[in-house]
Formats: sequence, structure tokens, C-alpha cells
Amino acid sequence: MVELHLAKPHDIHPEDFQGTQMNTPNKLLVRELNFYYGKFHALKNINLGIPSKKVTAFIGPSGCGKSTLLRTFNRMYQLYPGQRAEGEILLDGRNILDKKEDLNLLRAKVGMVFQKPTPFPMSIYDNIAFGVKLYERLSKSEMDDRVEWALKKAALWNEVKDKLDQNGTSLSGGQQQRLCIARGIAVKPEVLLLDEPCSALDPISTARIEELVHELKHDYTIVIVTHNMQQAARVSDYTAYMYLGELIEMGDTDTMFTKPTRKETEDYITGKFG
Amino acid sequence: MRSRLRRSISQGAILDILFLNTTRVFAFLVFISLFGVMITLLMASMPTLEKFGLSFLTSDAWNPVTQEFGGLVPIYGTLVTSAIAMLIAVPVSFGIALFITELCPTLLKRPLGIAVELLAGIPSIIYGMWGLFVFAPFFADHAQPWINDHLGSLPVVGPLFQGPPMGIGMLTAGLILAIMVIPFIASVMRDVFEIVPPLLKESAYGLGATTWEVVWHVVLPYTKVGVIGGIMLGLGRALGETMAVTFVIGNAHELSTSLLMPGNTISSALANEFTEAVGELYTSSLITLGMLLFVITFIVLALAKILLIRLTAREGKTT
Amino acid sequence: MNRKNTLYLRRRFVNGFNLTLSMVTVAFALFFLGWILLTLIEHGFGDISLATFTQMTPPPGSEGGLLNAIVGSLLMVAVATLIGTPVGILAGTYLAEFGKTGWLAPGTRFINDILLSGPSIVIGLFVYELVVHRVGHFSGWAGAIALSLIVIPVVVRTSENMLLLVPNSLREAAAALGAPQWKVVMFVSYRAAKAGIITGILLAVARIFGETAPLLFTALNNQFWNTDMNAPMASLAVIIFQFAMSPYEDWHHLAWAGALLITLLVLGLNILARALFRRDVTHG
Repeated sequence: MVELHLAKPHDIHPEDFQGTQMNTPNKLLVRELNFYYGKFHALKNINLGIPSKKVTAFIGPSGCGKSTLLRTFNRMYQLYPGQRAEGEILLDGRNILDKKEDLNLLRAKVGMVFQKPTPFPMSIYDNIAFGVKLYERLSKSEMDDRVEWALKKAALWNEVKDKLDQNGTSLSGGQQQRLCIARGIAVKPEVLLLDEPCSALDPISTARIEELVHELKHDYTIVIVTHNMQQAARVSDYTAYMYLGELIEMGDTDTMFTKPTRKETEDYITGKFG
Repeated sequence: MRSRLRRSISQGAILDILFLNTTRVFAFLVFISLFGVMITLLMASMPTLEKFGLSFLTSDAWNPVTQEFGGLVPIYGTLVTSAIAMLIAVPVSFGIALFITELCPTLLKRPLGIAVELLAGIPSIIYGMWGLFVFAPFFADHAQPWINDHLGSLPVVGPLFQGPPMGIGMLTAGLILAIMVIPFIASVMRDVFEIVPPLLKESAYGLGATTWEVVWHVVLPYTKVGVIGGIMLGLGRALGETMAVTFVIGNAHELSTSLLMPGNTISSALANEFTEAVGELYTSSLITLGMLLFVITFIVLALAKILLIRLTAREGKTT
Repeated sequence: MNRKNTLYLRRRFVNGFNLTLSMVTVAFALFFLGWILLTLIEHGFGDISLATFTQMTPPPGSEGGLLNAIVGSLLMVAVATLIGTPVGILAGTYLAEFGKTGWLAPGTRFINDILLSGPSIVIGLFVYELVVHRVGHFSGWAGAIALSLIVIPVVVRTSENMLLLVPNSLREAAAALGAPQWKVVMFVSYRAAKAGIITGILLAVARIFGETAPLLFTALNNQFWNTDMNAPMASLAVIIFQFAMSPYEDWHHLAWAGALLITLLVLGLNILARALFRRDVTHG
């Protein structure tokens, strides 16, 4: 990968963080993260670890800060003046919140898929090639291979292989969302952030995306935000429950859904609240 | 009691119909006014059209003494000055819209928007006067000698830039037109850039694209139709603009290759000559020019409008 | 690895270069705005005096002011606004309140938007043929009619837009009380959209104050005091045109004074319109 501005690696103490009793190494480590929308304190002192090549789900009632937390991982918030994060987020030991950290290179390493499909106004082929061209100079045939590879990974190849030159917006909603996932993985990121990727999709498309997430976790570290607890239970290995900007509890998904340690988590999961 | 109620209801109904139809009549008046203008000008153009026919478009004659009239010089001048204006105004407006929507700190956004709108609000006669008294002399002293030396010696395009440094002429007129239409184009571009869904931009940024790449590869293709509509709107303004041009064009009925030479546009010919035109044919020829201007701008503006309507219709839809 | 690096460096350079260019374009526009305004202030304030407002336009070589032109402009703008505003509001009402079906509303909307940016000199020609040619002489009336044809599209556009901003629930609430539609429009829609419609009228007035081209062949000009709308009439814009294009130094001074007056007035009206509209929007 491209590494132009190397921030100084920090010492990692995984044992400092809650919810990291897993035996997998952490890809992302969040330390004392606070986030503000202007004066509003949206994330309060978050500490957690995101295990490598696993699926981690963030759940919680709307407004709890789960999307906000996700958007700090690629510093998407920085597009908007007045939003700021304090603390540390270590990606492989390097603090990505460091001002010296190159934003574009970070985002090439941390891909993102949004609530609604966002195909670019160009052909299906160019949608995939767009991100690749940003970082690699590939020959035509190499690019063809990469596009095919990404579309196959996203389980979309068979549906679109005959109409690669059609506009991305001509696909159905579920196909568009898989196109966006293909676009995200075509640049070969290390982390994939999914921000409620199924909220605008029908159940069949949702099922396909969930299968896809299962496939992808062999190669990528995946973080998914969802308001749908069944979905979190189905797709994730680890689950973090957030409430009012705080991380209440994090653990492996089975434990979280069967015997959570905190009362608040249990109330939310059993539907007594939220 | 019941009959009173019924009476007041039927009165209300009559007034409703009356009110609806009054507004409808006025809407219809607006609707036919364009055709009224068209037909009136066409009728007044008849003497010219009967005498010269289509050769009016291709003849560069303009002689009130021998009663020979052709529209080529002002038509050419109108097209050339507008083309110069668009060549400058389109990239500059794009830059301004890009700055306001993507780069500008929130604090500056409002004042900048207001400044652009102020620029649009200044009456065109002020641009013309400023052009004549301030810009043209400055241009003649400082820019034209350089243009003569550096661009005038180029192959092919050289002859466009040779000529005495008089300050006035088609290049000056085009430049001032450009400054005039920049605010119109820039504000349309800003408006259409702002309808791009934030998620779409975020997903391009999410891939690691730079601001420029997001604007060039995502925002611009997404708003293509609206941007072209805005450009056409500016072109419509430039074609029909009178006062900003009349002051600095030089009002010369001659066809010259050089952009530094005086020329004429349809609107400046009208402004300068119409009240002094003697004889039916002279007046009618000027009106024919006006009609041509109206037809050209109508086509350009109608296209602009259609493109902008298409963009609004697409907004939010999938295709 | 190295090739990727050069590609990325190139992208960052292109990005930085183009974003810098974008800032240059903003500076370019602001530079000209500043240049024009400074020129106006420099010349205009030196040339404006009490006489500007109290004396008639002089023949070349003697003292004078712009009184007849100012009065002529005010008269014609006032008459044009009085004609154009009701026509514009009523047509705009049709578009916003009744134009849901049929061909007339979309057709009118389309044509109105073309008239909005159409060449104003052609309006002058049209009124010349329609009025001046028939009556046989130039007149203030003809000038006012030409200006009103420029007011109408502006008022139609803003009235329609402002009426469309009025929430439908307001209309429904009034209709549910049994009010006939004309009362709903007159007493609910118009009231709710009042500030916006006034803003549109102010913008239209600002626009016609600076218009020169449509007056050239209609009101013509007049060196003398005249309040008779049936005779040729002076206006600030046309006087500026005539005086600035003349070879006489003292006429140039008066033209600068007039130019400053017109600009202050037009920009003042623009700012007033905006302030009025913003106050209304922020106060709900």
C-alpha cells in the first residue's frame, strides 16, 4: 500500500480496552475517543478494539452515535466544518486522527458503503475502475481483470457482465448496493465500513448482501452499523452496543445476544426498550 | 335560512369562477406576449425580407444612402463577442461555483454569494461606461501591445490579434460581456452543484478521491445537464446584451478578421442607429436584425430551459 | 510501490493546482467587482452635488444637474410597476394555485422564463412598433409600457415561487372552514406569501431602474423638465448613455454622477429586498 506520511507508531496495550478479550489481533483500536458536532458531545470516551478479519456490528437505538463512530474510522466527518474528533484511533498501530495522516490514503485503506446505494453517474465498468485508477496505473486488460474480480467478489458479475457499459443507475437497488460494495473492494482496502447497508433494500437483496458479508470477512475487516438486531446476530462475530454516545458493552455476538453482562444491553436486545 | 346559505354558496362559486378566470386570462396574456413580439417584429421586417430575402443574412452591405442592407456584420459581431465571453466566463464561473460549494469556509460562503449577486445586480450600462472610460484605455495601454507582439505573430490565429491598440473593439466587448455573465452562470452552477446528494460525494471521498476528482468525475457528470443549462442561460444574456457592448464595440459596419478592430453587434447597431434611421427600409432592416436576435436567443434560452427542466425531473429518480 | 507513489503525487498536484485555480477565479471576479465599484465611487462622489438634484440637464458647456432625468425615471418606473405588478401577481397566482392541470400553466411558465432573460432591446422594438409607430411620437407612456413588460416576468416568477412555498395545510385549513377558493387565495395564500412577493417587486424595480435599452426607442429622451407622460421623457439610464458617449467633459461628469446614483439605488433595492425576505423566512 501507499504510505507517504508515516505517523509514529504508538504502543498498543490491547488489555486496556473493554471488549477485547478475543484472541484475534485488533485491526483498529479506539482510545478515549470523543466526538463533537459543534457543541454537541456525540461520542463520550469510547474505548474499543475492532478484531482483524472479523465482522463487528454496532447496534443501538437511533441517535446513539453508532454511525458517528463508524464515520470517524475514515474521517468522513472532516467534510463538514464544526465536526471534530478527539482521542486516538489506531489503524495497525498508527493514529489515523493525526493531522499529518494523509486523508486520501487513509480512505483508500478504509472503504465505505452507505445507507443508500450511491452509483456514480458513469458506466458500471467505470464505477469500479474509478477508485482503482486513483491509486494504480493498470493496463486495459489488468483493469478488465480487476473489474471482473471485484464484481465476482460482490456476487454481481453474472448479472451485469453483458452490460458493463450501461449506466450504474440503471441497476436495481440491491444490484446498485452490490455495485457499491464491488467498487469499495476493487481498491483492495483493508477495512470495509458498512453504514446500514441494507436499510433501503428489500428482504431478498438484504439476504444477498448478508451472504456477501460472510464471504468478504475472509479477506477484510468489516464493521457494520445496523438498526436491525437480527441482522447483527446473523452476520457479525462481535457486537458493540451503544447508547447515548457511550459504548455500553462489547463482546462476541453469541454471548451478547444470549447472556449480556449489562442490564441495559439485555433490555435493548429483548425489546424492553428501543 | 337555507336559501340564504345556498345564495352565499352560489355567490362564492361565481366569484371562484371569476377569480380563476381572471388569473387565467393574465397567464394567457403572458403566454401570448412572446408570440405577439414575434409577429409584430415579423410584420415590421416584411419590407426587408421582401427586398433582400435570405441574402440579408449573407450580405455585409450597410448603406443607408444606396438603401443596401445586410445583416452579416452585426450577426457575426454578436456571435463572436458572445463566443469570447463564453470562453472566459464558463471556466471562471465553474471555478467560482467549485470554490463556493466545496472549498469555501462556512464563514465566507454568504458574503461571497452576496458579492456574486451584487455583480449580477449592477446595471449593464455601468459595465459599459466603466468599459469605455476605464477598461478600454487600460487595455489599450497595457494589454493590447502585448497581445499584438505575442499572439499576433502566431500562425493561423495570429491575424485575429493584429491591429492598432485602440482599446475598443470586439475583444474588449467580449471581455466585458464575460464579466457581466459570470455571476449568472456561476450562480446557476452553484445551485446545481448543491443538489448533488452528500452521500454520493461521500462515497467518492470514501474511495480516497481528492476534492478535484470528486468534482470533476462525480459532481460535474451528475449535474451535466444543469450546468449546460446555466451556460446557455449565460449565452442568452450575452447575445442580447446591449449597453455593456455598445459603449466599447466601436460601432463599425466592417467585417474584419482582427478581434482588436471595432465591429458591431445586433443590439449595438439597434441602440446606435434605430432612432436616427430614416426611411422604411432602413428601419425595417434594423427591426429584422432585432427579430433575428430574438429568434437566436429564443432558441438558446429554450434549450437552456429544457435542459434545466430535465435535470429537476431527474433529481431523486434513478435514471 | 514507487509507481503508485508518483501517481499519487501527481493526483495531489493536479488537485492542488486546480483548487488554486478555482481560488484565482474567485479573486478574478472580486477584482472586477472592486474595480468597478471603486471607479464609480471615485468619479461619482466627486461629480455629485446639490445641483445634480435641483437642476435640469444642461446643454454642453454649462452647469446643470439631472433633475428631469431623475423625475422621468421615477415616473416611468412607478407607472411600469403599477401596470406590471398586478398582471404579474395574477398570472403567478394562476401558475401556483390553479396550474396543476392543462397546457396553459407549463406553457406560460416556459415562456415566462424565456422572457425573464430575453434581450430587453427587443422589448423596446416591440413597444416602438406597438405604440410609438401607431401614435406617431415617442412618449413616457411607451417607455413605461416597455419597462412593465420587463417587470411582469420577474413578478410572475417570484409570485409563483412564493405561493408554492405556502404549505398546503394552510389552504386546506381555510377550505375546511368553508371558504371559497378566491378567499383562500386572497386572505390566506397572499398573506402568507406577502414578504416574498414584495421582495420580487423590489427586485423588479431594481432591474428596470438600470434598464436603458428598452427606453431608447420608446421614451427617447428630453433635455427639459417634463412630467407629461404623453411626451418624450428623460431617464437617468438614457441620459447616462447619451452623456457618456458624447465628447463633452462636463457631460461625462454628469454621467458619472448618474451612474453612481443608479448603482446605489439598484444595489440598495437589492439588499433591501434580500433583507426583507430573510427576515420573513427566519421569523417563519
